[in-house]
Amino acid sequence: MTEVQKTDRREFLKKGLSLGLVAGGAVILGKTDFLSAKETVTAMPDLVAVKNAEPDALFKKAISLMGGMGQFVKKGQTVVVKPNIGFPRKPEIGATTNPLLVKTIIEHCYKAGAKKVYVFDNAVLPTSSNARNCYKISGIEDAANAAGGIVAPADDFGYKEVKIPAARILTKTDVHELILNSDVFINVPVLKHHRSAHLSIAMKNLMGIVNNRMEYHLRGLDQCIADFCLYRKPDLNIVDAYRVLMSHGPSGPRDEASLQVELKKTLLLSRDIVAVDAAATKIFGKDPEDIQYIKFGHEQKIGNMNLKELKIVTYAM
Amino acid sequence: MNLVKIRIAISLLVFTLFLFLFLGGGKISVFLSPILLPLQFVPALIRILIQPEILFMIGLITILIISLIFGRVYCSFLCPLGMLQDSVIALSFKSGLLRKHIYQRPYNWLRYSILGLTFITVVLGSMSLLNFLDPYSLSGRIITNFGKPLTVWIFNAGVDLLKYFNIYFFSKEVPYLPLSILAATFGCFILVLIMSAKYGRLYCNTICPVGTLLGLISRISIFKLVLDQNKCYECVRCEIVCKAGCIDQQKKNIDQSRCVNCFNCLAACSQSVIVYSPSFGKIKKNEWSPARRGFLVGILAAAGSVFLTFNSNIRNLFNTTAAKESPPITPPGSLSLAHFTQACTACYLCVSACPTNVITPSFLEYGITGLLQPLMNYHKSFCDYECNICGKVCPTGAIFSLPLEEKKLIQIGEVKLVKEKCIVYVDKQNCGACGEVCPTHTINFINKSNVLYPETDTQYCIGCGACEKACPTSPKSIVVRSNSIHKKAVQYIAAAKLPQPKKETNKDFPF
Repeated sequence: MTEVQKTDRREFLKKGLSLGLVAGGAVILGKTDFLSAKETVTAMPDLVAVKNAEPDALFKKAISLMGGMGQFVKKGQTVVVKPNIGFPRKPEIGATTNPLLVKTIIEHCYKAGAKKVYVFDNAVLPTSSNARNCYKISGIEDAANAAGGIVAPADDFGYKEVKIPAARILTKTDVHELILNSDVFINVPVLKHHRSAHLSIAMKNLMGIVNNRMEYHLRGLDQCIADFCLYRKPDLNIVDAYRVLMSHGPSGPRDEASLQVELKKTLLLSRDIVAVDAAATKIFGKDPEDIQYIKFGHEQKIGNMNLKELKIVTYAM
Repeated sequence: MNLVKIRIAISLLVFTLFLFLFLGGGKISVFLSPILLPLQFVPALIRILIQPEILFMIGLITILIISLIFGRVYCSFLCPLGMLQDSVIALSFKSGLLRKHIYQRPYNWLRYSILGLTFITVVLGSMSLLNFLDPYSLSGRIITNFGKPLTVWIFNAGVDLLKYFNIYFFSKEVPYLPLSILAATFGCFILVLIMSAKYGRLYCNTICPVGTLLGLISRISIFKLVLDQNKCYECVRCEIVCKAGCIDQQKKNIDQSRCVNCFNCLAACSQSVIVYSPSFGKIKKNEWSPARRGFLVGILAAAGSVFLTFNSNIRNLFNTTAAKESPPITPPGSLSLAHFTQACTACYLCVSACPTNVITPSFLEYGITGLLQPLMNYHKSFCDYECNICGKVCPTGAIFSLPLEEKKLIQIGEVKLVKEKCIVYVDKQNCGACGEVCPTHTINFINKSNVLYPETDTQYCIGCGACEKACPTSPKSIVVRSNSIHKKAVQYIAAAKLPQPKKETNKDFPF
């Protein structure tokens, strides 16, 4: 503290300028890793958006801008990584989270000292054969295993009822035990078109951690999606917008000729699930105002959809 | 060379393979089905009548030739129900429940009547009686009804145990088995158990139509077990071990039509009075021969059935299923309700092999002429778009094997959206559970003030039932109605295409 008090304004400016120059230079040279530790001293940005690289490079850059994985995962903690593995589709379709991204996230978790990293999702039609196909065909099972992640079928654990007093409709629901028992919950959705909910991003991805997703459909899909976020917000949301399914979502077309995928090569990171959904919606090319569950989430103060009010760090490679 | 040991070895191997066929799951079933099932009499016969296929023709001809040369070895070496009975008989002896077999009178009128009646009902378009009695199908039902749940429970217990070591596997689901089917199978099973535990191979020689038919053939077989009347001391050792109860020591005679070629008597006879050798006319003929008459009737009935099966109009006339108002949905590859009900022997191999457990047994849903035959049960599950296993395992041709790309366009039924019940139309809020899971783009959504309303375009629908399974309302707002004759769906191609993704890298963010 005394050190700071000693430095006068001019020196501060000088230092700031030189630091900026170094940082800028490093960015130009593409060597930014050594800077990232220092950036954590400043407050963590509300949202980080990175683009124009492969999924692993995108994540490395984005998490360093967030202050490193150590901000989210502490030594000895158990982590649950929840990608979107809802459909038995190949990674090229864009209906499931990018396997390389999942692998990179798990590696970072272990580097930050995680004890165990679980990966699971409750498939949309959860018969065991269908769920097995989802894990296999999406490439996520193999990718996660390669990084040492523990890939668990959703039905290998029980579900426990939780109460959500502040909810408008979904006042209670049954939640997967891994979510309840893990220290850190990382939500890794894929941004994709959804024929019956407009878009599927981070908030909607949480339908894969409850036992009875059809309850949402029955009682009001958009409101239930928002209500659930009142119960537990993920510690970190990582939106995969690398390969974006632009139509025929959420499962994608069955004939390859009708496949409409855009390589946006973008990754979004945020603690704020509403903000990250709003930002992803814009990346998709839609208006967050049109997505009912985002609006509900904002109204219920789950997060902030007004991106202008947020501290956003963007980075294009 | 000990024929008994060879028989036990072969039959144990075959029975083990049968257990794997029914309990091993999709891939193992697909692998074993074409190896084991061409050598099962009823499936091979039905397959040839439905659509002659070389593998099954070879199988049936092999069975017939073997029977003509060696007698009813089929019953002791290949028939799964025969092996099941043999093990019960062995247990019965071990436990002291059964001390010795004795000679039994043949129930000729009963067995030939059952054979004749079975032929007639099949010819007239009902598989019901055959399905109840066919030893292969009955074995299949017994293994599926009782073995399948058991193996699934054991497997899942193993999965649960491994969980504690952080090793995760997907657990399995027990296929849905209606109580009526469990009861019917249990009844048949108990009947066979009691008959075999007390009277040996009584089922095979009185009820089983395959046993009766092969018995007729084995009467004229080249190799026979022959008892030399001049050498026999009437020690009764052979009679005691004869499971078929066909050795009459008093008359010093072996009933060839009932001998199942277990060869127990060969081993038991210390004096080598009984020999297994080629014999032409060595046997003393009975004066009264109902078996001969039965043989002629059988041949005539077989010829008639061949003629009539090809003329399916006659079979349809007596088939009650087609007349039902909302008949069940039959698996893809079964062509039509009429085809399926006239070819399925209800062995439940498809029930066992179906990965999504959507094929479930039914009791009365096909009417009285289609008892036990399975159906597509969309209350329980849905048909996996990327799967065609049922056709690959079905031995009778009730479900033909379709290439996957072809199967994806077979419309076994058609959806109907009931807008009066649909949440989106009633509550004006998003749901879309049906559209999420539809693999064929049958369900589209119309955006009206940011609410997405489902609409159906049934030309693409294949009736897989995923939407019906997913629909959260009760009763369902979207249901599949069966196509009595399967149709071909239109291949979906997206109308509008997006331009190819831009190559140049854009550095801007929309916020």
